Amino acid sequence: MSIEVKNLIKSFGKHTVIDDVSFKVNNGEILAIVGFSGSGKSTVLKLISGLIQKDSGEIITTGDIAMVFQYSALIDSLDVYENISFALHERKDLRRKYSESEIKKIVKEKLALVGLSGVEGKFPSELSGGMQKRVSFARAIVTEPEIILYDEPTAGLDPMSSTLIEDYIVRLKQETNAASIVVTHQMSTITRTADKVLMLYGGKIVFFGTPEELCRQETPYTKQFVSASLEGPMKMLKG
Amino acid sequence: MNTFTLKGTVTYAVFRVLYGHFVSLATTIGDIVRFGTQVIKHIIKGGIDKKVLIEQCSRFGVSSLPITLSIVGMSSIIVSMQVAGEMVKQGAGNFVGLLVAMLIIREDGIIMSGFAIISMIGSSLASEIATMRVTEQIDAIKVLKVDPIKYLFVPRVLSGVLMMPLILVVASVVGIIGGGIAAHLASGLSYKAYFDSVYRGLYLKDMNVAILKAITFGFTIALISCTCGYRATGGAKGVGEATTKAVVWSFVGIVILDLIFSIVFFF
Repeated sequence: MSIEVKNLIKSFGKHTVIDDVSFKVNNGEILAIVGFSGSGKSTVLKLISGLIQKDSGEIITTGDIAMVFQYSALIDSLDVYENISFALHERKDLRRKYSESEIKKIVKEKLALVGLSGVEGKFPSELSGGMQKRVSFARAIVTEPEIILYDEPTAGLDPMSSTLIEDYIVRLKQETNAASIVVTHQMSTITRTADKVLMLYGGKIVFFGTPEELCRQETPYTKQFVSASLEGPMKMLKG
Repeated sequence: MNTFTLKGTVTYAVFRVLYGHFVSLATTIGDIVRFGTQVIKHIIKGGIDKKVLIEQCSRFGVSSLPITLSIVGMSSIIVSMQVAGEMVKQGAGNFVGLLVAMLIIREDGIIMSGFAIISMIGSSLASEIATMRVTEQIDAIKVLKVDPIKYLFVPRVLSGVLMMPLILVVASVVGIIGGGIAAHLASGLSYKAYFDSVYRGLYLKDMNVAILKAITFGFTIALISCTCGYRATGGAKGVGEATTKAVVWSFVGIVILDLIFSIVFFF
């Protein structure tokens, strides 16, 4: 139950987005991938989840992979119950495994786990951003995944909703013992959820360590990132 | 020594744009063929969600029917009004029904229905799927290990195949009746003479070809619309572009198919 990435390379046209990246995440561990916008963080998640194909390198994963998307990506024509039970209804292997009453029980359990009991009949448009995010958590864990990928889970949320989401990330790790990767650039998400931190710049790893080591700002990269300074080795992409 | 280069010239820019369009056209056609093959395989295998299929059939058939009937009915009335008076004057009143029926069954009914369906349903399918694409809903479906072609394309394309012939039959009946009323009002042609003539003009082969054409058009419109939506990129602009492409390509697609049908069956 882990994720192992070896010498991963991905380019879009002439632009190399991920350049020889290697890391490992064990079960029950959360790795935060950080870096400024355009550093290739989300591309790593898309490569691991199989949404895009790598150019070279190795991605070794064990078990089911779930992903929580930046803007929840709930299917807006389906209500909360249908969204969470989507894989259980649509996947042949799972459809045969569970009866409708079992599916109802699972959905109820997962909703309770993210603190949203009783919203089964609501549509995504009737929920707040934070609630949508929690429904997408419930949808992600319904298949009992061994790997959970979070793409900027606290982006666009108010500080209290962010704290709530961070608590659920930690809680899901404890409940599922999954190997998790959180892509973020929010310091609170890094310090409150991550066991290890990996910083990307220009598609390369420029820091790998614990959140405490990141906060100590011992390298020019960590110093610039934590202080959110424009001065330092990392240059922002011009818009 | 000066070296001649095309780069930076208007000619270069024009060829670059044309090349971009050609690549986009080629890849879209490739995707239409690829997804179409997958859809057919899924339909043959079965296991289609009946609830979603009924929803899509209702969307395809019921919601588009008023506009389709209006367009086909009006065009039949216009044709009938234009020709009935002249034909009755020339002593060919007994052929008005035959002409209108043949026109509707062979061409007008199906092409007008196709245009109405593209405008109403094709555009809606494309924008729905394009929105799902740009808001990562399709990515979420993929990560959950559900085949988006089976989940999104199959019920929509199958509803096109099932509903288009029904729409054609209803639209043709309305068109022929509308043509009869128009002929009577425009030239005083009796209903009996008109419908006797319609009966003479209806051939089994024409009707079979019309049904086959309707099935093909329904498949093509839904498939092109879904594919254009699925290939959308970017945000709101991408959704708009995908919808425009779906409408334009579906129009072109059914006109080309219509030409092929005419060559194969009536040439």
